[in-house]
Amino acid sequence: MELFLEQLPIVIKALNVGFLQTLKLFFVTLLGAFPLGLVIAFGSMSKFKPLSYFTRIIVWIIRGTPLMIQLLIIYYMPGLVFKNPIWGSGEEGRFLASAIMFIFNYSCYFSEIYRGGIQSVPIGQQEAGLVLGMTKSQIFFKVTLLQMIKRIVPPMSNEVITLVKDTSLARIIALQEIIWAGQAFMKGSNGISGAIWPLFFTGIYYLIFNGIMTLILGQIEKKLDYFR
Amino acid sequence: MKKLFAVLMTMIMVFSLAACGGTDNKDDSASPKTDLEYVKEKGKLVVGITDYAPMDYKDADGNWIGFDADMARAFAESLGVEVEFTEIDWDNKILELESKAIDCVWNGMTLSDEVKAGMSTSNPYCNNSQMVIVPADKAAQYQTIESLADLTFAVESGSVGEDEVEALNLATTPVKDQATALMEVAAGTSDAAVVDSLMAGAMVGEGTSYDDLTFTVSLNSEEGEVFGVGFRKDSDITAALNEFFKTAYADGSMMECAETYGVQAAIIAQ
Repeated sequence: MELFLEQLPIVIKALNVGFLQTLKLFFVTLLGAFPLGLVIAFGSMSKFKPLSYFTRIIVWIIRGTPLMIQLLIIYYMPGLVFKNPIWGSGEEGRFLASAIMFIFNYSCYFSEIYRGGIQSVPIGQQEAGLVLGMTKSQIFFKVTLLQMIKRIVPPMSNEVITLVKDTSLARIIALQEIIWAGQAFMKGSNGISGAIWPLFFTGIYYLIFNGIMTLILGQIEKKLDYFR
Repeated sequence: MKKLFAVLMTMIMVFSLAACGGTDNKDDSASPKTDLEYVKEKGKLVVGITDYAPMDYKDADGNWIGFDADMARAFAESLGVEVEFTEIDWDNKILELESKAIDCVWNGMTLSDEVKAGMSTSNPYCNNSQMVIVPADKAAQYQTIESLADLTFAVESGSVGEDEVEALNLATTPVKDQATALMEVAAGTSDAAVVDSLMAGAMVGEGTSYDDLTFTVSLNSEEGEVFGVGFRKDSDITAALNEFFKTAYADGSMMECAETYGVQAAIIAQ
């Protein structure tokens, strides 16, 4: 117990540094994937068939392969195959590669949720808009978008909470997020070696953060509860 | 209008893919320079490490120290380049090297057949051996290799320890790394573990989560096991490092560094 209390501040300090990386990856991914998902959703709904097929194939590839493999590919492939290590060394390069892959991966999932949301708005409303003389973009932004947002909040909440935990996959390319920081104590880090508990302790960070996210997302859902 | 937008989008996507291809080709033709030239041009030697006392670990200010870290710093200085330490996932060390994310693996790396096949390795500079780890209260029964017959061993998958245990025809449970092997014993899910002696010395005993574990037999103290530094295949930095080791050993700076970290007994004459 005494040993635990002695180690606790050191471990918490190291885990905080790791969790900061986790949070950075989480927010960057959300910021990038929210709009990119919409672009991909439009791509796959396009009436122009080549674009729609192309987008759907991309979505199929991204959703059909493990994110872990995608991270390995995006980080190592440029140097391995093209002899051009574009990411640079060090932590920034690893973060950049992870962030790009996470954004792309999550926007593919988001795009399908967006598509479902957009297509769930009755077509009659679009027709009504056309009759009233609105343009297509006016119809989308003034009629469809708000209803879509309301409908996609529950499935998006699911993805957001999964994303918090998925960030731990980035440790495969040695991004030092919180799981990495916790695991480091098993071997030896910051003068503590052979400590198992920090790894399990990281779970508390995820739990608390996801608790906060659940509350926020619940609030958003309530706020959007104006249509019926 | 919408169709035009769609065509434009498709073209952007296709071109962005093509653009990737373009730069790659250009780079391919421009890389007949040797590995040493590559590192010198870049101005820094990126050393792939893990947190592994006493070879590479952080001091209180967050700087990398340790026998390997100090030697790597001195070697980079002799080349006239900066040193940069980057933590890697040990399973991906060959990937990290080949993709040029790092320039060398310098982290108490055992020169196993797998390592020798995947990298260009330096002369060995440090001895190590594989130790059997058992719960302290049972240690008395397991002081000889013969007494280990009924135990199940947690071993790092692909490690030298795994080879040693399998050579004795004993039951093994391969796990992800040495730390997990120790956790298996601590949790009682395996009877014993095999880890290297540097690790055993640093991790087992008072002040760790494993103070109820202890090490007994050394599995390969006869032939021994040695550490070396790994570079990309066919790298010419390997030869430069071997030269550096010779000089550093001759002028005593290598032993001096080893004494700082208490590994002088294990150092191999260059």
